[in-house]
Amino acid sequence: MTLLRVETVDKSYGDEEVLNGVSFEMDRGDVDVLMGPSGSGKSTMLRCVNRLTDVDSGHIWLDETDVTAPETDVNELRQDVGMVFQDFNLFAHLTALENVTLGLKRVRGMPEAEARDAARDHLEQVGLAAQAESYPAELSGGQQQRVGIARALAMEPKLMLFDEPTSALDPELVGEVVDVMADLAEGGMTMLVVSHEMGFARSAADDIHFLDNGRIVESGPPEQLFERPEHDRTEAFLTGLQSGEHR
Amino acid sequence: MQAGDWAFVLDNADYLLTGAGVTVGLTFAALAVGFLLGFPAGAVEVYGDGLLARAVSASGVLLRGTPIVVIMLVLFFVVSVSQSAFVTAAVGLGLRSAAYQSQIFRGALQSVDEGQLEAARAIGMSRFEAIRHVVVPQALRRSMPGFQNEFTIVLKDTSIAFAIGLAELLTRGYDLFTQTGRSTAVLEVFLAISAIYFVLTFATNRGLDRLADYYAIPSGENR
Repeated sequence: MTLLRVETVDKSYGDEEVLNGVSFEMDRGDVDVLMGPSGSGKSTMLRCVNRLTDVDSGHIWLDETDVTAPETDVNELRQDVGMVFQDFNLFAHLTALENVTLGLKRVRGMPEAEARDAARDHLEQVGLAAQAESYPAELSGGQQQRVGIARALAMEPKLMLFDEPTSALDPELVGEVVDVMADLAEGGMTMLVVSHEMGFARSAADDIHFLDNGRIVESGPPEQLFERPEHDRTEAFLTGLQSGEHR
Repeated sequence: MQAGDWAFVLDNADYLLTGAGVTVGLTFAALAVGFLLGFPAGAVEVYGDGLLARAVSASGVLLRGTPIVVIMLVLFFVVSVSQSAFVTAAVGLGLRSAAYQSQIFRGALQSVDEGQLEAARAIGMSRFEAIRHVVVPQALRRSMPGFQNEFTIVLKDTSIAFAIGLAELLTRGYDLFTQTGRSTAVLEVFLAISAIYFVLTFATNRGLDRLADYYAIPSGENR
């Protein structure tokens, strides 16, 4: 059953076309990965899904909701769409636990005690129950990103967006974040991921969409895209990726 | 200098300390007015648009470009905001402080990373809630050093209320040697009131340091 439908989305910044007729669909429980060179529009595509960026034309549907309609309440929409940022963006003045409870209290109107219980569960889920009282600056990058995931999960979204979740991390910390994401995928979460983590894409992705210059050049399951890419651009990019060029 | 001048100052310690009390009261009143007007003004300059932001910004430029003694004299003798010199001084210093505090908060708000607001919006918080619960608490902490400066400046500038005859510390010190005929004590009186100003600024700054440390966001390096 289709959860997310992206229909011919265009987006320009001034003269620069960032997205050009992008279309794809995701079923509930799907994990799709967006890959492509920097500036290809991957992050902008993600940001259109939760309206951090508005499309110029085209439509995005989440279930029955027309995400792109001007009358759509973005604050309602965003509770259904969790987002994980490249730079974590944890609330610097709040503990790990408070990072997770803030939305529950202020957006969901949950009472303090209930919010704390729910937040503890989500921190436990990402393996950080022991760090609940730590401030972001006291945590490693990998731990911060896991708190970021817990914060998004706490809103119980239908869809999770990951914007290069591991690219700001030291190599030895990538694994712990990828493991949490793999667990989520396993658990049936619908995930749209901008990432060049080949290991994650290979094991967890249902489909990979390769973007270049704002267009989806090629889509397909990882085995097809990685082993038998149809386009030269895709092949060249993936070859570069495997030799570590894009890291 | 003359023998007995220090004794004269000591004999009149109560008189001077009452003036110091007025100074402290005026400082807090002015800072309160300055905060209540300056904080929203800073926020409007960052987040507002159109006429309001331009009006706020222009008032700030005007207030910062006018000598405080002129502001006070105009408020007291021209506009007559109040019969009370204390109220007039509090309004004058308060308005001027608001103009400076707005810049402290403006800078602090702008220094909070864009991603903080975005992350708050991404979990469904409204712009107002996100600013209030995520950006403002961090900006207030970052405005502490600037605010401490402002505190010291306002405390010392309360002495300008001398111009409108408010019986604060400086006025009382001045009156002490002019009205008692004890002009030889001028040095002792000024040393005494300078010492009081110094103790007040030093003590309150240390207090504010403590407050800043207490509310500082813990980072790994401090542990």
